[in-house]
Amino acid sequence: MAVKKFSSKYEAAWSDADQLLLCLDTGTWRTKRPVVDKEKCTYCGLCAIYCPPQCMITRKDFFEPNLSFCKGCGICAKECPRAAIVMLPEGDFTS
Amino acid sequence: MVEKVRKLPKTFQYFKDEDAFAGGVAFCAGCPLELTLRVLSKVMGHETVIVGTPSCSAPVLYGQNVGAWHRLPYYSCLMTGVASSATGLSRYYRKAGKDVNVVCFTGDGCAADIGFQTLSGAAERGERFIYVCYENEGYMNTGIQRSSTTPFGATTTTTPVGSAGRGKTTHAKNLPMLMAMHNIPYAATATLSNIDDLSKKMQKAMEKKKEGLVYLHIFCPCPVGWGIESDMSIQVCRMAVKTNYFPLWEAEYGKFKLTTTVANPEPITKYVKMFRKFNHLGEKELAVIQEEVNQKYAFLKHLTEFGEHGIPAETPAGE
Amino acid sequence: MKAKQGELKVMTGNSAAAYGAMLCRPDVVASYPITPQTEVVEQLSRFHADGVLTAEMIEVEGENSAMNAVAAATLAGGRAFTATSSWGLVYMYDAVLQAAGFRAPVVMANVNRETPGILAVSSGQQDMIQTRDAGWIQVVVENSQEILDTIIMAFRLAEDYDIQLPVMVNYDGFYISYLAEGVRIPAREDVDQFLSVLKTQPQRTIMDPTRPIGAGSHGLMTEFMELRYKHCAAMDRAKKKFDEIDKDYGDFFGRSYGGQIEEYRTEDADFVILTSGSAVGTSRTVVDAKRAEGVKVGLIKLRMFRPFPQEKLIKAIKGKKAVGVIDRSVNFGWNCGPLYSELRALTPEIGNIPMLSFIDGLASIDITKPHIERVIDDIANAAKGKPYQAVTWIPLEERD
Repeated sequence: MAVKKFSSKYEAAWSDADQLLLCLDTGTWRTKRPVVDKEKCTYCGLCAIYCPPQCMITRKDFFEPNLSFCKGCGICAKECPRAAIVMLPEGDFTS
Repeated sequence: MVEKVRKLPKTFQYFKDEDAFAGGVAFCAGCPLELTLRVLSKVMGHETVIVGTPSCSAPVLYGQNVGAWHRLPYYSCLMTGVASSATGLSRYYRKAGKDVNVVCFTGDGCAADIGFQTLSGAAERGERFIYVCYENEGYMNTGIQRSSTTPFGATTTTTPVGSAGRGKTTHAKNLPMLMAMHNIPYAATATLSNIDDLSKKMQKAMEKKKEGLVYLHIFCPCPVGWGIESDMSIQVCRMAVKTNYFPLWEAEYGKFKLTTTVANPEPITKYVKMFRKFNHLGEKELAVIQEEVNQKYAFLKHLTEFGEHGIPAETPAGE
Repeated sequence: MKAKQGELKVMTGNSAAAYGAMLCRPDVVASYPITPQTEVVEQLSRFHADGVLTAEMIEVEGENSAMNAVAAATLAGGRAFTATSSWGLVYMYDAVLQAAGFRAPVVMANVNRETPGILAVSSGQQDMIQTRDAGWIQVVVENSQEILDTIIMAFRLAEDYDIQLPVMVNYDGFYISYLAEGVRIPAREDVDQFLSVLKTQPQRTIMDPTRPIGAGSHGLMTEFMELRYKHCAAMDRAKKKFDEIDKDYGDFFGRSYGGQIEEYRTEDADFVILTSGSAVGTSRTVVDAKRAEGVKVGLIKLRMFRPFPQEKLIKAIKGKKAVGVIDRSVNFGWNCGPLYSELRALTPEIGNIPMLSFIDGLASIDITKPHIERVIDDIANAAKGKPYQAVTWIPLEERD
């Protein structure tokens, strides 16, 4: 055999999440980010339920987004029954 | 200070496992598919083999070389092979005595068009797996082309609007109804605004699949393809239900039941005005769409008044 | 230890295929009828109804589903079988490619029938030729006994840890499929034993539902090329493996067929004929008759078609004065027979000898003894240095 070294031990196109779980840094997609008003939040959990990347983290009596993965879609702000979340331009924040 | 309501929505109780997907995956911002898949992995658990197809879900469901974007076992097919591959998998696991949850996850393009034959065959044979079809009314991954469930009048790249064209000229196939007519143990429609209902139906699916094919039809608007802002996805689902455009029902062996009844349905114009894809429609066309919604709903309502297999409940046996 | 002789039964080729598959205890069988294969799935269904075969029988709604179902079943860890022919093979083509690309060890009986275009419900090998580049192992057999035996060997080959490739067992439709002959049926326990060596090998990768393992990952860049390389390497290994399995089969059951090719009276031959399938049987008789007249002709039966048995053919033909290939199909674009054009690729190693292409037997036109006598005469002339015709469409010239 001319080729001696292979990058994968598999004979066919298998993927193995135990070996490599991929992750995109979707947090860099944002042009707006959700900001939660802790005082207004009643911990109803609707933002956490409806968030497509399911990235709302519980802080015991309010929720806040995991900014590594929040894509800034704005659904949480739209669905919040108390208007406790606002979408602010990403440019307003330095990180 | 507002009083804290510590009780979380009932939906959280349906989650038996954590999210199987990596934190960041390649779905558009606001995409209902992402929500559906993540919820599915939480409700159905991780011993679920997902059978996928080239589609919007493929870049996430399929791996890249040896890496994967999620922790579910999966089998990637071509569009023609989804239900048939799931058949082979579920039959073998059953023979080997393994209780495995096999779930097909495809869009309407696969389920209604190119993969319909195999889906129909699997339904007739009583194969024991769950087929989840996400309805975004078109081939979205390839850039918004029309499928047989794209609604009348919709703009797509293959039914564009111009001096001679006014969007899709034919009406959509009623795919969930077609599947229910196979008399399978369980067929249901669901959407993301009514997420408790969706979770409950997913759980019921896992029970009913022990008897034969289960078909779930989930309404998932496509922000990019339909021309809506990324934050409107859930609102659109809600309006679809409120206008009876997408009624929520379930059918067990052909016996229909509405799982959500809308007391005063909104006019379809409220739904249509939400998208850019219907911008070109005039009064006459909107009237056609309203008529279609009314007819479909009336037919569905009629079916819920029948008993099993469409036989009216009042007819005495032997008459 | 030797296997029992086995019961002798008169049966058709299709029936022999069904017996071969049944004896190997497949977990999943997909069935869809198509002439001339239908009896295979009917017989398997009867086995199931009689409790002889405890497989999951899937009466699919089309051949495309048949291949998808069996490929998925093997990737989940099972043993699976299906059968088809011509248009069915074409209809399942995307799934056939999928099975090979995913290295699903499916075994399929393909009953050769004419494709493409001109609808012909008749014998021809074009369907097998059309699928050359699918990445499957393909073998061609000559009679009912060989069908049964080769299917058993096919499971042994496909599921071998070093191979892991789907295997297609081809046989001429209408000729072998419907012809009834005496066939020895091995005892089931003996077949179990013959295949038991697979259990001693390492476990191939399968879809284990308790692990986050996915079948059919997107292949990108060099990793994609690696997988292609591994596929080609496995196909290459299949040649020697097939010979070994054939020898083991012979040692155990008492019947062997030569592996990749079978040589008949070739050692001292001046020139040889190369052919495959049912035409081999007739060729043997004519070769014997010509030998009795003093003509030093030999016959090579091509059994393994993919991978192409290059080394064996070079060894068998090198030093001969001429070779003729009888093809039951055409090579569009090269205007000759396909096996012939593949053999021609070995000219640098064989030497620049006359190579003749004979196209015959399309659409169930019989390849008769006079046809083969003509073939032998033509090759004989070429071997003597006389002018010869490179490509001959025998039935059309005979008609003129």
